[in-house]
Amino acid sequence: MRAQRVLGGLSLVGVGLGTIAALFLVPADRLQGQVQRLLYVHVPVAWLAELSFFVVFLMSLLYLVQRKLTWDLVALAAAEVGVLCTSLTLILGSLWAKPIWGIWWTWDPRLTTTAILLIIYVGYLIVRSMTDDPDQRARWAAVIGVIGFVQVPIVYLSVFWWRSLHQPPSSPRSMATAFGAVLLLNLAAYTVAFTYLVLRRYRVAQINLELELRGPEEEP
Amino acid sequence: MSADGDTGMSGRHQHALRLAGLTRRFGRRWALRGIDLEVSRGTVLAVLGANGTGKTTLLRILGTLLRPTAGRAEVLGANVTKHPDRVRRLTAMMTPRGYAYDELTGLENLRFAARMGGGAGDASAHRTALARVGLEEAGDLPVRAYSTGMRRRLELARLGLRSPDLVLLDEPFASLDEAGVELVQESIARWRDAGATVLIASHRLAQAGRHANRTVYIEHGRIVEGGPVAGTTHP
Amino acid sequence: MSELARRASAILWKDLVTELRTRQGFSAMLSFAALVLFLFSFAIGPDTELLRRLAGGLLWVAIVFTGTLSLGRAFQSEEVAGGVRLLRLYPDDTRAIYLGKLAANLVLLAVLELVLWPAAAILFQVDLLPHALGLSLVAALGTFGFSTIGTFFSALTVHLRARELLLPLLLFPALIPVILGAVNATDGLLLGDPMGRLGGWVRLLGAYDVILFVVCLWIFPVVLEE
Repeated sequence: MRAQRVLGGLSLVGVGLGTIAALFLVPADRLQGQVQRLLYVHVPVAWLAELSFFVVFLMSLLYLVQRKLTWDLVALAAAEVGVLCTSLTLILGSLWAKPIWGIWWTWDPRLTTTAILLIIYVGYLIVRSMTDDPDQRARWAAVIGVIGFVQVPIVYLSVFWWRSLHQPPSSPRSMATAFGAVLLLNLAAYTVAFTYLVLRRYRVAQINLELELRGPEEEP
Repeated sequence: MSADGDTGMSGRHQHALRLAGLTRRFGRRWALRGIDLEVSRGTVLAVLGANGTGKTTLLRILGTLLRPTAGRAEVLGANVTKHPDRVRRLTAMMTPRGYAYDELTGLENLRFAARMGGGAGDASAHRTALARVGLEEAGDLPVRAYSTGMRRRLELARLGLRSPDLVLLDEPFASLDEAGVELVQESIARWRDAGATVLIASHRLAQAGRHANRTVYIEHGRIVEGGPVAGTTHP
Repeated sequence: MSELARRASAILWKDLVTELRTRQGFSAMLSFAALVLFLFSFAIGPDTELLRRLAGGLLWVAIVFTGTLSLGRAFQSEEVAGGVRLLRLYPDDTRAIYLGKLAANLVLLAVLELVLWPAAAILFQVDLLPHALGLSLVAALGTFGFSTIGTFFSALTVHLRARELLLPLLLFPALIPVILGAVNATDGLLLGDPMGRLGGWVRLLGAYDVILFVVCLWIFPVVLEE
């Protein structure tokens, strides 16, 4: 519990500082103007989306080997936070693209792969919601978690190849250059916030599972 | 051979079944709550109880279709979780619904079962199995055209392709007319005479109890009473 | 090893015989595919040059749509028979079930494509013959990739409610490399390949097929567990 509160406090402070730094400590970009500041949120959040997917993959593997529901719960927490991060990435990407390129969407390989990541996550969560038995749910979720992760590099590669001929407008990420320190600060802050969110979500999932398994029937 | 008998060898073990604290839950519902049972080889065991009390769950675990949530089950010396394939080779199971493909004929269904690892493979053995259950003429008809009773007989024929050491019968008398019930009883007797252990899960004492030399009652996932059939009354 | 092959071929034989006797699935697939191709032609309009350029993409979309339809039914017959999990009563590796179903799906799609490709050639006015060998390879690789992951997800979703929603949802991200690879390779053959990228696309398809096949095969038994 202590650890959780410390993390929570750190996240708040970290994100707060990072935002202030991004808004005030860094000059506006010469070419892109104020919109470029979105980068300081977009890049960390995009990175976290990928990280959470990796966590889901790891947890899925752990569950398949050990069959402990703990791993499944962590996977669930990571998946939900991941959906949040992925959606944020896409929204921020859009918000960035519109003023810069005049369009809502770019077929940039990384952004496109992120969109596909979102679909895989959503599928993962929907399958979970449709299964009542916790063990069955964990099994199927683990399967999708593993297969989903295996797909991602290949998807990225194919989209990259597909777009490489056409020189598409690039995404905010590819433009992340000069202002390194502030970016790193935000990266660290958001990662701490991520850990905090996953931890809290895991705790909630634990309680939910207990409630699910107890119910009105007597214990053996 | 180790003390607990769990060597994975299909040697001559004393017990056909050894269940210790066998538990299974489905989400919030506990279907089996700690079943302890020892059944010696050659027993014909009637497992009685009303519907939904855990009989089917118990048989499915013994048939390796379900993993136990807790506890252990040994079938003929093989642990159902650690050596499920060994268990499958020694066990034959008859489920209430049966398993048959509508578009295939009775014969073709048997052939499929045999090729999947379910017993004798040649056509004459299949015809014999069908004849024994009174389906010899229907053998070339698609199962689509079978009545429910005929489908159950086909199930029986499928079991007849093998010589299992343990036979699990889940509600074998359901949907059968008198002749069909007789066929099942004959099969039970035949298995017993061959030295196999037979488990009959049913809610009908009279039918299940005919050849049984032991009975257990299951209620709310627990065994409530055990003992020989004779002298046991049950509403 | 031969046990696995025997059991897989038992399942393959059973599915093919069933399909032959009912012909239900295949005719549904065929009419659906024809419908899709025709609708594309009408929707895009009479510009033959445009149709020619899009032929590869349209064809593969038709194959994927139709294939998804057939996948939805792949494990249906098992459920009707008594439930695919009962097949676990037979000893040995349940991977035989995956292999058998995959093979059956491949056969169905192969027969379908034998009709579809010439049909597309006629409707979209492309000449397939000069590139027949190359196109056959691309068709084989693309179809295999599709069936590999498709059969797997079909088995997984057969026990879920809202199967018709979930199967396409799960399938879609998995198919992106297949579609991109197959369409670009097909276009490369039919429309020319000035950048020399054909080989790369074919290799991508091949790698995808191998990786997904191995993973799906390895993890399949978990799908049937209870």
